[in-house]
Amino acid sequence: MKSKVLIAVAGLGLALAAAPAWAHHAFAAEFDVSKPLVLKGTVTKMEWINPHAWIHMDVKNADGTVTSWMIEAGAPNGLLRRGFNKSSLPPGTDIVIEGWQAKDGTNRANGSNITYPDGKKLFIGSQGTGAPTDKPDSK
Amino acid sequence: MNHRIFLYSIGVAALMAAVPAVAETPAKSDATFSAPKTPWGDPDIQGTWTSDDTWGVPFERPKNFGTRATLTEDELKARAKTVQNSEEFVESGGTNHSPALAEIQAKEKGETAPAPQGRFGRGVDSAPVPGHWGEFARRASHQTSQVVDPPDGRLPPLTPEAQAALDAKMKIRREPIPASYTNWSYYDRCITRGVAGSILPVIYGNGLEIVQTPGYVAIRYEMVHDVRIIPTDGRPHISSNIKSYMGDAVGHWEGKTLVVETTNLLGGRMAVGVNGDGGAPYSDDMKLTERFTRVSANTVNYELIVDDPKTYTATWKVAFPITHEPGYQLFEYACHEGNMAMHNMLNAARLDDAKKAAEPAK
Amino acid sequence: MLMGAMKHFLFPAAVCAAFLMAALPSPGQTAAAAGAKIPRMTDGKPNLSGLWQAIGTADWDIEDHSSAAGPFFQLGAIGAIPPGQGIVEGGEIPYLPAALEQKKKNEANRWKDDPEVKCYMPGVPRAAYLPYPFQIVQSQKDILLAYEYATTNRLINMGKPQEAATDTWMGTSNGHWEKDTLVVDVTGFNGMAWFDRAGDFASDGLHVVERYTPVDANTISYEATIEDKATFSKPWKISLFLYRNRDKSARLLEFKCVEYAEQLLYGDLVRKGSK
Repeated sequence: MKSKVLIAVAGLGLALAAAPAWAHHAFAAEFDVSKPLVLKGTVTKMEWINPHAWIHMDVKNADGTVTSWMIEAGAPNGLLRRGFNKSSLPPGTDIVIEGWQAKDGTNRANGSNITYPDGKKLFIGSQGTGAPTDKPDSK
Repeated sequence: MNHRIFLYSIGVAALMAAVPAVAETPAKSDATFSAPKTPWGDPDIQGTWTSDDTWGVPFERPKNFGTRATLTEDELKARAKTVQNSEEFVESGGTNHSPALAEIQAKEKGETAPAPQGRFGRGVDSAPVPGHWGEFARRASHQTSQVVDPPDGRLPPLTPEAQAALDAKMKIRREPIPASYTNWSYYDRCITRGVAGSILPVIYGNGLEIVQTPGYVAIRYEMVHDVRIIPTDGRPHISSNIKSYMGDAVGHWEGKTLVVETTNLLGGRMAVGVNGDGGAPYSDDMKLTERFTRVSANTVNYELIVDDPKTYTATWKVAFPITHEPGYQLFEYACHEGNMAMHNMLNAARLDDAKKAAEPAK
Repeated sequence: MLMGAMKHFLFPAAVCAAFLMAALPSPGQTAAAAGAKIPRMTDGKPNLSGLWQAIGTADWDIEDHSSAAGPFFQLGAIGAIPPGQGIVEGGEIPYLPAALEQKKKNEANRWKDDPEVKCYMPGVPRAAYLPYPFQIVQSQKDILLAYEYATTNRLINMGKPQEAATDTWMGTSNGHWEKDTLVVDVTGFNGMAWFDRAGDFASDGLHVVERYTPVDANTISYEATIEDKATFSKPWKISLFLYRNRDKSARLLEFKCVEYAEQLLYGDLVRKGSK
């Protein structure tokens, strides 16, 4: 993944994803399938809330201004079960989000792929807390 | 809410083949196992349990299996592979590039973006977040379906009234521009998943915890934090004038089995199905009978018998094991408090309304 | 609400107060002092299992307060705020100046900002004195508290203390026994819960230590020490009694209030003319 392409693209109107109209109602109700985007920025806060965690990030624009975004992610409880905790994504962390912008045009997006700038994924690996990957004693 | 439901569709098909996992059914009773007892003498089924292992087993049996309730050895190996793959998908973070990336890269080079491949060929109906947010089965189940009775593993036909109610519900769910929060399921609204929906396995959050005290068994479910406090002292149900989503449960012990009978359910809203929304709305008169039998240190066999003649033309039964996983813990799932998606979706819907109103009449 | 059961709680306040003064120890006194027979588990620990509820108006305001009009005249007397004596030891919450300003703001906006209005989880200690019952299910190890309001529940871990993985509404509860007192240390709060409908609050630095002491078979003395350096100038304490609902038929019922709050929360985004 070339880092230079990971520029902030707010409202990438040109990029039309070939999404059929029958896409899931609930997802399509909140996010705009015709507005995929890639955001590179810095975490300002992660809200470990259910049903979905929200990652707040600041994205630097080409003109030097900063735009704040909120990224909707998955339910955090599975991650907590795997040993991650509220300190696992500290403010100041650089991340890259691929996703779709909110339908209402606000600076909110669904994060379909969330990585560090080097492409490494967040929240990888089990830390031994009863997670599925803790090999159970074959019961 | 948004993708809690639609993650189901990632399913298994999307995951690539790799190494088979060890498959062993947890549901078989261990003859040498003597069930533990509480200090006051009741069978002890306390602790955290999860239905994760049944995640991936079809609710109704695919027709080609007929009345065959268990997989062949070859089929089991294939499922073990899928289990292994979902583990790898989750643990590797499950790359899920959005088409935006390819488009941006192509544009930089002055090229045309390639058509989205694989799951993205299906638009956004694929993992909306990285795979590592999910949970998955630890072992491959032998079962061909979660429904075990009728013998073909398929739900009995609905009554005409129930079919009409299901059609009406689906019409509301599919309205292109939702008018209100009531267009969404009770789960999406963070109200409840109901008795069955709280234990039927889904993509994550399949945990429940059982706490006993003399005369009571309590079950708390992680997702949407429902809790049932079940008296086991032989008392009758409360007045039928008091109805609720989780109903009124009374229980008793039959040997080492906890039998729970639930009535007083609010009809016409929830279904006995995934997340309490999959299927026809059940009636006020439904009676659910659940059986919890500890068959080994880490396994409780769970059964649910659905008796609702106003909805189904026969009774039917779901059965699967729930397992205790060392270290597995429940966390607070404050669903309603954090349900920002409901606000966002309604806001988007009203903007759609405005857009539609601005369109020239055809 | 279970009306049949309620009448057992709601004997006249004056009688209640007089009775308490005469017959019961003050909160904090031990069961031994009361010489009362309390139910016990097989290992001798008190068995707190049962259906409990506080009497009084602490959920309206944990400090002393006069009666006042409610926000909707249409509700007449049932919409008014009843008077009440506070449960704060020393009478006043030791707010830091900025926090006191926030409390006043909260109170001014109570009808829309109180998490209870929105059917959000009550937090601790508020869960203990909500005007709804709660049930304790005490096992030989952990203890479940199930609150009728919003089907909130929390598990008190009686094993090795656990650190909160993340901040939550109800916090992370670690308990232990000190003689006949169940002591529960609660941390890991998200700072969004209030203490009452009067806007009393704390930050996510809140630390609560609850003490549940059975004083007789049907009464628990409840105390909570509240500490939050960002909000209060010093730790402070509340104390009240929890009463057992002795009605044989009494059960914890389901009060899922989400659907009663949706129109309030989302009504402005519902299509006009639809329900």
